[in-house]
Amino acid sequence: MTVTGQEITDYVDRVRAALADLPPEVREELTEDLPEHLAEVAAEDGGSLVERLGEPEVYAAELRAAAGAGGPSDGRRGLEQRIGSFVGRVRVRLSGLDTRLGPPLGYASASEFLRLLRPAWWVLRGYLAALLLTVLTGEPLALIPQLGGNALVGLVLLVGSVLASIWLGRHADGLGRWPRYLLRAGTLVLVVFALAALMQVDVRARWIGDYGYDPISVRNPYDEVQDVYVYDSEGRLVENARLFDQNGTPIRLGWPSCTDPALPDVNPVQRGYPYCPEQAPFRPRPPAVVPVPPGTAPTTAAPPATAPPTGAAPVPTATAPAPTASAPGPTATAPAPTGPTAPAPTPTG
Amino acid sequence: MDTTQLLKGVLDLAVLAVLRDEDGYGYDILRRLREAGLDEVGDASVYGTLRRLFGAGLLTTYVVPSESGPHRKYYALNAAGRDQLTRSGKTWRSFATTMDRLLDDRGMAA
Repeated sequence: MTVTGQEITDYVDRVRAALADLPPEVREELTEDLPEHLAEVAAEDGGSLVERLGEPEVYAAELRAAAGAGGPSDGRRGLEQRIGSFVGRVRVRLSGLDTRLGPPLGYASASEFLRLLRPAWWVLRGYLAALLLTVLTGEPLALIPQLGGNALVGLVLLVGSVLASIWLGRHADGLGRWPRYLLRAGTLVLVVFALAALMQVDVRARWIGDYGYDPISVRNPYDEVQDVYVYDSEGRLVENARLFDQNGTPIRLGWPSCTDPALPDVNPVQRGYPYCPEQAPFRPRPPAVVPVPPGTAPTTAAPPATAPPTGAAPVPTATAPAPTASAPGPTATAPAPTGPTAPAPTPTG
Repeated sequence: MDTTQLLKGVLDLAVLAVLRDEDGYGYDILRRLREAGLDEVGDASVYGTLRRLFGAGLLTTYVVPSESGPHRKYYALNAAGRDQLTRSGKTWRSFATTMDRLLDDRGMAA
């Protein structure tokens, strides 16, 4: 048998939903045997009930006609039937969901599991009622109910409220219609109150977290300083600068990240700033004397350039090219290459 | 002409007829009707008809336990049911004869 009992139940529920407009006793008379009948059908041959019998709504329409129960006639009944059928379908869906959610929880149905939680809800309800009572008497909202600032009175109230709630839960079935409505309305009020209280307590908890322990930054803003570059008022990089605080203590910042083989092998930290002049963030402007007017350059450059050779051959100084200067002697050639390229800035700068 | 339209009027009679000689349960009755040639009859129609006839006091029911499947609810004709079958049968025959004659007179092939 491939058809499950649940499938039969669902099918019957949908048929009943489609017949919702009929007087209850007529509908009951029509469908009271339907589960057994469908079980017989299911026992016969393969396929689901819907495959064999069609949609439950169609089945219901056929059943209605065959049983002479009258169809949904005018618009109002049609609407009522549609509402009834919708409600019925929702109910079937819910019951299907109920049974499907049950096994993951370890129960036959979710409602069976929830039913076990009812006493827990009664206790919670009593607690919430006590809390609501204290708030209504003007107490500030707190997690432990107090009355007039007295925790003992609050405790008595709490115990009494919880016991009353449990008693109510156990005797709710015996209540009349109006007390039951009252109980439901009260439950609704408590749920709304609980949500509001939860939110307020939550906000308060967060507030303490933010301002009770204001975090103080222990990070030194100079932690990431690697090197210090000092510039004078002209924008020139000051080398070997030393920094001191108001007590004359040297200010040590950064560390030498570059090693210059030309520098003496001393502890680099004892050197002045900057450790690495070539990594200066701002380059000094090139000295203003470099672009010397072409006409004046030979006159100023000539005397120092010719001075070092100490009266050697006059020929190489005028023409300057190294190959020709190398011929007379090695002593005269040394200054010659530097003469034409670099001499102009060094004396002025 | 659609057979289902005709069937609506005579399904009571058809159900009573298949129960005349032997009691049956719902699905069994449906099968008998189909085997007799009423292919288009639906399960809901048969079930609804059975409920109505039972409600009208023409049928009795009894449950037969089954080892291999669900219990089956058998329907049986009671005295009122047999009486109804006889009367409805006569009405149908007379009606059918009238229709036959009508069609023959107009030269329609049977």
